[in-house]
Amino acid sequence: MKENREEGIASIVLIIFSAAYLVGAFFIPMPVLKQQLGPGGFPIAIGFAMLILACIYAWEQFRGGMTAKESEEEIEKRAAIIGAEEKIEKKADLKTMGFILGLMLLYAFFFEILGYAIATFLMFMAGVFYLDRRHLVRDGVIAVVSSFVLYYIFTILLRVQLPAGLLKFLEY
Amino acid sequence: MDFLSNFWGNVTLGFSVAGTTMNLLLCFIGVFLGTLIGVLPGIGPMTGVALLIPLTFSLKPTAAIILMAGIYYGAMYGGSTTSILVNTPGESSSVVTCLDGYQMAKKGRAGQALAAAAIGSFIAGTFATLMLMLFGPWVAGIALKFGPPEFFSLMLAGLTVVTSLAGRSLVKALFATLFGLAIATMGIDNQSGVPRFVFNNPELMDGLEFLVVAIGLFALCEVFVNMADMKGAVMERLSIKGSLWMSKEDWKRFFPSCIRGTLSGFFVGGIAGAGAAVASFVSYGLEKKSSKYRDELGHGAIEGVTGPESANNAAAGGSLIHLLCLGIPGSGTTAIMLGALLMIGLQPGPLLFTQQPEFVWGLIASMYIGNTLLLVLNLPLVGMWVKLLDIPLYLLMMFIIMFSFLGVYTVNNSVQDLFLMVGFGVIGYLMKRLDIPAAPVILGIVLGKLMEEKMRQSLVISDGSLMIFINRPISLFLLLLAIVAITNPYWKQIGRGVRRLLGGAPAG
Repeated sequence: MKENREEGIASIVLIIFSAAYLVGAFFIPMPVLKQQLGPGGFPIAIGFAMLILACIYAWEQFRGGMTAKESEEEIEKRAAIIGAEEKIEKKADLKTMGFILGLMLLYAFFFEILGYAIATFLMFMAGVFYLDRRHLVRDGVIAVVSSFVLYYIFTILLRVQLPAGLLKFLEY
Repeated sequence: MDFLSNFWGNVTLGFSVAGTTMNLLLCFIGVFLGTLIGVLPGIGPMTGVALLIPLTFSLKPTAAIILMAGIYYGAMYGGSTTSILVNTPGESSSVVTCLDGYQMAKKGRAGQALAAAAIGSFIAGTFATLMLMLFGPWVAGIALKFGPPEFFSLMLAGLTVVTSLAGRSLVKALFATLFGLAIATMGIDNQSGVPRFVFNNPELMDGLEFLVVAIGLFALCEVFVNMADMKGAVMERLSIKGSLWMSKEDWKRFFPSCIRGTLSGFFVGGIAGAGAAVASFVSYGLEKKSSKYRDELGHGAIEGVTGPESANNAAAGGSLIHLLCLGIPGSGTTAIMLGALLMIGLQPGPLLFTQQPEFVWGLIASMYIGNTLLLVLNLPLVGMWVKLLDIPLYLLMMFIIMFSFLGVYTVNNSVQDLFLMVGFGVIGYLMKRLDIPAAPVILGIVLGKLMEEKMRQSLVISDGSLMIFINRPISLFLLLLAIVAITNPYWKQIGRGVRRLLGGAPAG
C-alpha cells in the first residue's frame, strides 16, 4: 500500500503546516488602536479550520475511516458526475522531472544575470538536448525566434520591460 | 417603457464600446488565442487565461476583459474540436463530448459533429449573454442592498458550493480553499498596517502575487505532469470526411437537445454557480434520460455532442453573471479572471453596473461579437486548428515554461517571484498526485482579502457579536446554503444517493 503511505506522509505534512500557520497567526502583533477583530482574528480562524481538516485527513488515512465506507467505485461515479479532474499516473519519471525542475531553477537564477534573451535561448536548447535531439536545426530556429526576436518585440514594440542582461551593450 | 429605453440605451452603449476598431481587434485576438489554447493538449482554459494575463497589463480594464472573455470563450470552443477528432478533450468541460463526438467522427460524420458543437455553442452562448443582459442589472440591484454581513455570507456560500463540487474528497477540497485563504492573509494588513506572514522579506509586504500562485499551480504543474509521463503517445486523429452541413434529420434532432443543454447549462452555471464541466455532465445525464434517441447515446448520437457543448457554453456565460454582478467567481477560470481584474484595479460587484456601464455593456456586446467570430473562425478553419496537434509535446512544454517566466516577471520585475512560482509548480504537482484540487486555492486567494474585510466590517457594525450573521435573514439563508453544500457528501453515507447530491447543491 505505497499509495496510502504517501497520503499518510502528506497528512502529517499538512498538520505541521497548519500548526505552524496557526502559531504564526497567534504571533501577529496587535495594532495600537484597538479593533473589533484585530489583524490576527481571521488568520487564527483559518488556522484552526486547516488544522481540524488536516487531522480529519490524517485520521482517514490511518484509521481507514470515513472514506472507506464509500467504495472506490462510488467515489469514481461521483467524480465522473461532478467532472473532477482526472487522476494522474502515479509512476513518475523522476529523472526527467528532476531535470526540468533544475532547468527551471537555473532559468530563474540566470533570468536577470544573463538577460531574458540569452537565458531563454539556453534554457530552450538545454531542454531540447535532453528531451529530443532529432530536430536540432528546426528547434534551434524556434529557440532563436522565441528568445531574441520575442525579446525585441516585447521591449521595442510592446514596451514591456525585460531584463537585458549581457545584451545591455546593444541598448541605445 | 422606462426599462426598455434604458435597456436600448445600454445595448447601444455596449456596441459603441465594443465596436471600436481596437476592441474588435482585441476580441478577435482573444477568441483566436482562446481557440489555440483550447485545441492544444495539456493547456486548459485556466492555464491559458493565467498565462495570457500579462498581455492585458497595458490595456484599460474594458479592453482587458474583452480580451480575457474572448480567450475564455475560445478555449471552450477549441476544446470540443480535439474531443471530436482526436478523442482527447482539450479541457475538462469537453470530456463528455468525446463519448459521442469521437464515435460520430469514426462513422465519417466528423463534419456534422463539429457543426453541431459549434452551432450549439453559439446558440447557448448567445442565450446566456441575453440572460446576462436581462437579469444582470436586476441581480446587481438586489446585491446593492447587501451590507457587509450579507457579502461575507455570500462569499462563504460561494466558496463552499464551488469547493463541494471540486473533487473526489471534500476534506481535500476544503483544505485547498483554506490554503488559498491563508495565502491571501500574507502581506501588510490593510486595516491596521500590521505585517502578517512577511518573514521580514520586503517583497512580501504586498502579499504573494496572485499570478505567481496561479501560473505555478496550473502552468508549471502541467509541465511537471507531462514530464512525469513523457512517453509521447502519438495521437491518431480522424480526418473530416464529407460535408459540414447537417441534414434535415440532424437539425430535427439538434434543436431539442440544444435547448435542453442550454437551459440546464445556464441553470448550473448561472444559478447554482458551478462550472462548465459540471454543466456538461449534467446535460449528458439529461440526454440519457429524456432524449428520444437515448439508446444511440455513446455510439455517435448527435444529441451527445449538442447537449453537453451547449451546456458548457451556457454555463460559461452564466457564471459571468456571478462574476460581474456579485464579484463571486463560479469556477476556476472566472476566479483567475477576477484576480486579473483586481490586479488592474477594478473590483467587480454590484456597483459595476451603475458606476461603469461602459465596462459591463461593452463586455456584453463583445460577447455577441466574439460568439459570432468563433463560429466563423471554427467551422471553415477547423483543418488548420487540427494541424496544431503536430506540435511536439516537448516544444510545447518549453513554450509554457518560457511564457510562465515572461508573464510572472513582468508583474513585479522580481526574480524572487520566479522562484516562488517554481515552488508553487512543485506544490501543484504534489497536490495533483495526492488528488487535491487546485482551483479552490485560487478561489481562496482571490476572495480572501475581501472576505476578511467584510467580516471585520460586520463585527464593527455589531460591536463584536457574531450573531449579526444569523440575525439577518439573507445572511442566514446564505450560511444555511453553505452548510448544505458542506454536509452534502455525508447525506449520501446515510444512503440518499448521488442524485440528492446534485439536486441538493443547486436547490439548497
